[in-house]
Amino acid sequence: MEPGEWERTLRASLGEAVVAVEPFAGTRGRVRFRAGRALDVFRTVHGAGFTHLSMVGAIDWVDHREVFYVVWSDAAKEYAILSTDVPADQPRVASATSVWPSANWHEREAWEMVDIQFEGHPDLRHLLMPDGYAFHPLLRSFKLHEPEELEVKVRHV
Amino acid sequence: MSASTPPSPTAAPAAGATASEIELPVIQAPAVPFVEIEALRSREFIPAAKEALTSMIQEQGQAKLIRPVFNWAGRNSLFPLHWGLACCAIEFAAAFGARWDAERFGVVPRSSPRQCDLLIVNGTVTWKVAHKLITLYEQMPEPKWVIAMGNCATGGGPFRTAYSVVPGVDKLVPVDVYIAGCPPRPEAMLDGILRLEDLIRTRKE
Repeated sequence: MEPGEWERTLRASLGEAVVAVEPFAGTRGRVRFRAGRALDVFRTVHGAGFTHLSMVGAIDWVDHREVFYVVWSDAAKEYAILSTDVPADQPRVASATSVWPSANWHEREAWEMVDIQFEGHPDLRHLLMPDGYAFHPLLRSFKLHEPEELEVKVRHV
Repeated sequence: MSASTPPSPTAAPAAGATASEIELPVIQAPAVPFVEIEALRSREFIPAAKEALTSMIQEQGQAKLIRPVFNWAGRNSLFPLHWGLACCAIEFAAAFGARWDAERFGVVPRSSPRQCDLLIVNGTVTWKVAHKLITLYEQMPEPKWVIAMGNCATGGGPFRTAYSVVPGVDKLVPVDVYIAGCPPRPEAMLDGILRLEDLIRTRKE
């Protein structure tokens, strides 16, 4: 299926939630959608056969942040990418765990590294960093620290 | 070996005597100086050692005597915790192989911190695992020692400015010996263990 054809199909059910479907090498296309209607997009794409969520990632573009989802269709043997932009001061998007349960740990990592607030996530806590870690280290505003400057509290149990 | 000569039969059996008439040799237990205890057979060890130690305690006082014996036993049976973190653990394992054979120094890795008196931190310690390192250290019985093996454990290594790495395990536990290298070769690890044995030899309190 061509990206243009898929865009028409998605727009028929989702309307303005889909901004564009761009060609992306090796996939059916890169669906850019509006973050406010993320759950509708997830359910529609899941219903179109993309039942496996490969990964969730996030990028800090300084003026905004991008959250992307790589999904796989067993029926079509094809990848697709879902991508949305969220503002840097309010980085909120609905959690995909209700549609793809495997999004759980990926979203935990995206939250602790790039500070994306996944609304409706069942267990949004630290994955790679200790509890109480006060930084989001993959943000561009996080500089490499001299060890004396990085205060990390070790919770001893 | 002991200075005592093997006891000889007091008398050769007379010709024509029956077996019941042969006079069996009487073994006189020699008075054993302390330095020769190592050579004794095991069933003689405990009474002889008790006698020697009791007399020396009466002569010299308890603390002055027990501490060298305690240090001697401790430094020749260092049991490190079998806790591999990163690539230094490969060198740690190689040191116990056939070529270097660390067990000839009495170093035997154990799998439980309750049985260990030496914590060899071999690898990159992240903040996520830091409290587990402290827990393992506190689970070890006293007296205990810590070796920071490799550059990561010594000072963070190439990850010193990283957001996730502890810049040196001496921020978490007291370290006795640092071993440089990335990773250190097994010879370097054995050298560190021998230096720790020197430290234990001169331990006072």
